[in-house]
Amino acid sequence: MRRTLTSQERVVIEPVHLADFFTVFFSAASVILFGALYALLFAWSRVRGRPRLMPMAYAAYLGLAASVIVLGNAANLFNSHYWTFIVLLMLVGYLVAPHAIWHLCVGTHVGEDEAVKVSQQR
Amino acid sequence: MAALGTLSSANLNGGQKLAVKFFTVAIALFGAQVLFGMLAGIQYLKPDFLFGILDFSVNRMLHINAMVVWLLFGFIGAVYWILEDESGTPVVGLGLGNLMFWVFTLAVVVVVLVYLLVQTGPGELKSIWLINEGREYIEAPRWADIGIVVCVLIFFYNVAATFMKGRFTGIAGVLVFDLVALAGLYLAGMWYTPNISMDQHWWWWVIHLWVEATWEVLVGCLLAYGLVKTMGVRRKIVETWLYIEVALLFGSGILGLGHHYFWIGTPEYWLSIGGFFSALEPIPLVAMVVHAVFDAGHHKMKSANHPALAWMIAQAFGNFFGAGVWGFMHTLPQINLYTHGTQWTASHGHLAFFGAYSTIVIAFVYLAVQKWRGDVWMSGNMAGAWKWKWALFLLHAGMIGMTMALLITGYEQSQIERAIGGSTWTAYFEAQAHVWFVQGMNWRMISGWAFTAGFVLLAWDLMTIGKRETRPAQLPAAEAAAA
Repeated sequence: MRRTLTSQERVVIEPVHLADFFTVFFSAASVILFGALYALLFAWSRVRGRPRLMPMAYAAYLGLAASVIVLGNAANLFNSHYWTFIVLLMLVGYLVAPHAIWHLCVGTHVGEDEAVKVSQQR
Repeated sequence: MAALGTLSSANLNGGQKLAVKFFTVAIALFGAQVLFGMLAGIQYLKPDFLFGILDFSVNRMLHINAMVVWLLFGFIGAVYWILEDESGTPVVGLGLGNLMFWVFTLAVVVVVLVYLLVQTGPGELKSIWLINEGREYIEAPRWADIGIVVCVLIFFYNVAATFMKGRFTGIAGVLVFDLVALAGLYLAGMWYTPNISMDQHWWWWVIHLWVEATWEVLVGCLLAYGLVKTMGVRRKIVETWLYIEVALLFGSGILGLGHHYFWIGTPEYWLSIGGFFSALEPIPLVAMVVHAVFDAGHHKMKSANHPALAWMIAQAFGNFFGAGVWGFMHTLPQINLYTHGTQWTASHGHLAFFGAYSTIVIAFVYLAVQKWRGDVWMSGNMAGAWKWKWALFLLHAGMIGMTMALLITGYEQSQIERAIGGSTWTAYFEAQAHVWFVQGMNWRMISGWAFTAGFVLLAWDLMTIGKRETRPAQLPAAEAAAA
């Protein structure tokens, strides 16, 4: 028996269907795990100078993007402009955050050792 | 300085002598948390166990309050631990700090006794002042509330005055401002209002903003100091990162408060605000993975205190999984409608508190024991190293087991009680009697025993580690150069 929402509530959120509970939990966890894997591979590739890891990092990001879309569908996020905007913001945020933090890392460690100099030359 | 391996307060400065007192009480309260948690866990399986003698409501209250207070004691101890070292001057008003320690400890003992002995009877205005304020997690009676604020203000005076007299470093600046918020936000949990929505609105300022703002920042300061001391990371870099991380935490954490305002009767715009910031809250955590890898590549994880370093690494993972993964799984309002207040929340709470906070306090206690024994070598190959390794393993295995078991029971509750049963009383009891719930609670109990064994081993290890060690600690290169 599902609670009936008022028309005002429907504008803001549309609750998850019972059959989609597991999908929501699993895809939400996947978003964070793929996000961490993307960040890990991205940073590892740069800090160790192994460019062949970079495609794997972006493959992890694709996994993240797929998880976000599955989550968006299961949690009914695409039924409103506001929640669709949040989905897009998540996709952009997770994509650029490792890049931004990497630049900050390089900036704060300027001149510390050879590895940073190599990174700066890239 | 006493012989290596001998526990002697001559090895400590004034602030550190006070810190070890706080650490001792913190570990004792950690034990109390485990004990009352286990009793409450047994009562889930055998509801008549200690019924009328030590009721579930009292056990649960003691379990959670002990957690809040032992972490607070641990944080205060950790700050006193770094204070003289960081400021380069003796603690200002140390006598007042010592008095505060004894008053605070005595107040905790009195509150626990009142919890254990006086929890039934008529609820009157005087019971708010003397017995129980009635707000979940911060049930301490109002006299104790006021006492906590006074204690934190004395603590603030010690910290601010010491830094102002000595070096006012970047870590000091963040810490001092954070302590203002730590004392100030606690006041929000002390209003009285007959409107339950307003009451909950302010209550969450303490529960969420303490935990996801002031405590996180405090831990950031402690970790920054820990990185300088255990890995020899340059101070300038650590402090720059402390500012960046504080900005990231505050940026997403303060209005992340909104995910607690979904269902308490606050205006519906909180659904949008809470949903927005909850979706973005894990991004800083993911971004910090990049920083961790970058630093690991630079500093090769060399340390003179392996147990402390192991617990700091555990903190990074625990914070990521407990707060990040477990939080995001049920934070959007579309699913939180069904999961809030179920064992799902308990699953998230157990892993997040243990992962983000208990780990860092334990790491600091290991740092303290090392110095207390005369800066003795603490490694993975020292005599009796099996104790800290097994304690680390059992505490984590137990916590992961409890988290997974509570996750299953929470999943079952969200379906049977909430989505299918419509959150009625009948549905609540149907969900509690369901086989998944009962099995989950059994597994939680088994994992709880593993956690308890881990705690006993940890306490034993903290009392004995380094006792027979004769090698001195080797400082990381940068720290040695600076010394």
